[in-house]
Amino acid sequence: MKKIIALLISLFLITGCVSVAQERSLKSLPDNEFSVEIPEGWWKPNHINKYLITKDGAFLQYVLIQQRPIDLPYRHTKKKLNQGMLPQEAAGIIIDEIASDRRILNFDVIENAPAVIDGYAGFKILFIYKDRKGSAFKTLYYGFISGDSFFNLRYNAAMRHYFEKDIADFEQILSSFRVVKPKLSKAALEIALDR
Amino acid sequence: MKYLALSMVAWCLVAGCATPRPIPVTRTLTANEEEQMLWRQAQEELNAINASGVLYQDVEIENYLNRIAAKLHANSISPDFSFQIKVVKDPSLNAFAFPNGVIYIHSGILARMDNEAQLAALLAHEMVHCTHRHSLRVLRSIKDRTAAKNARPPRVRELAQLLGITGSIAPLSGYTRELETEADRIGLDLAVKANYDPREILNLFELLKQEIELEGVKEPYFFGTHPKVGQRIENVKNWLAEKYRGKITGTKNTDVFQSKISRLVLDNARLDLRQGRFFVAQRTVEKFLAVKQDDARAYFLLGEIFRQRGRQDDAAAAIKNYEKSISLNPSFPEPHKAMGLIHYKDGEKRLAKKYFESCLLLSPDTIDRAYIQGYLRLCVTNGEG
Repeated sequence: MKKIIALLISLFLITGCVSVAQERSLKSLPDNEFSVEIPEGWWKPNHINKYLITKDGAFLQYVLIQQRPIDLPYRHTKKKLNQGMLPQEAAGIIIDEIASDRRILNFDVIENAPAVIDGYAGFKILFIYKDRKGSAFKTLYYGFISGDSFFNLRYNAAMRHYFEKDIADFEQILSSFRVVKPKLSKAALEIALDR
Repeated sequence: MKYLALSMVAWCLVAGCATPRPIPVTRTLTANEEEQMLWRQAQEELNAINASGVLYQDVEIENYLNRIAAKLHANSISPDFSFQIKVVKDPSLNAFAFPNGVIYIHSGILARMDNEAQLAALLAHEMVHCTHRHSLRVLRSIKDRTAAKNARPPRVRELAQLLGITGSIAPLSGYTRELETEADRIGLDLAVKANYDPREILNLFELLKQEIELEGVKEPYFFGTHPKVGQRIENVKNWLAEKYRGKITGTKNTDVFQSKISRLVLDNARLDLRQGRFFVAQRTVEKFLAVKQDDARAYFLLGEIFRQRGRQDDAAAAIKNYEKSISLNPSFPEPHKAMGLIHYKDGEKRLAKKYFESCLLLSPDTIDRAYIQGYLRLCVTNGEG
């Protein structure tokens, strides 16, 4: 009887380990209109947004990749993105959305600049904030409009230690990002392409 | 989320309560164990609010609000109670009082008001929640209710653990109908005794009711809990007809009020714009401009409202307001940048270049200078330089 129990426990542990190993060796995200390569050590927590990955736990750092219809309303601002927008205008709406979120405290934009993501003209915003418990976070947010979609990649981490620790990984993820079904943006976002 | 959940738990308990047990209110404030616990909890939450960056920092406005509170408090039943009024940067229509006399007013509700009499009515209402110890009465109701279910009445500490945020359950989740009505009735009396026109509370109710309907928002706590705003309007009308018939005089202090809060009105319009509430923002700026007709920032903001709304003819309206702003204050960089953007998107690179250059000249370190430098490069490479 003891042997059977020991065997069952072993089996349980082995299958559990395999499951964890699979999660932690995540190489790609579920199919969408983009592809991205995930560096070693990043994994996708269960029951969290399917495009969110982390290394040490979502509270310490995460990368979130989203493709969102541009006419989808935001939660905190009634403003909407549109295809004719300049990256600067799109960045303004994202800033307004975040700043209007009552859970985001001591919000401060450090940098707001043009950026190129997979050849698309977009923007990058670097900002800091605190949550209601007083924990400080830093976020690097890239975004661009392509066709009727707004793509964004953000790296959020605890300001102390974690942000600097994994920023290189995020840059690697960012440079691997590709729109799989490219749609020409009506917005002639020539500004960033010129850089 | 935790706060929301706890508030909901608290609300369910509060809403289900019978009339809160009356507390003898005396001129001297003697805090018992329950009250001391409420105040400690309130202080913890106040510390969190004060450190969160949500407070509107303007000493002049705070002093003004505190002076009005002192005037109202002169006829209060608890003269030894100490009040402190603060403003929260939030465009929603709300105000709430903590049991220890700290009252927060949202910038949104202040910006919508027309005069000091309306402000006095709001402050008096919130002050009555404190002087008549409504939080304590809510706490005791919960205690009685829990005791009725269990053999042993819960201790204060257990209640605190149960609710988590006992110090603020009442201000954040609303009081019972009886307590809100009491605050309206006694608050009205305080305003009358301080020589304010009591009819102004009706105008405030009506103004906010219209806005709630216009925006389709859920009614805020101050105007939306028990009883509903319509019932409160009826109550005030009845009191005015019965108790104050033939005695309604008092001041509105419109000019003083508008001059004191003018900066806040504009700052709040910016918050409305941030949330995409274009109509409310536009109305607020126009209200401001009716009083201060030569404010470059107000014209710029009006221009921003039109530009960001982007309806037909909005670009022309935006340009008109930016030009007015520049004419009033040529060294204000923001309308230059906005003019540059409008012309850039219109393909008028020469005009865009002119405005972008003047913007960078006036504000070389503007946070979005990287965008502007990019636009300028393109204006040149496109042969428009």
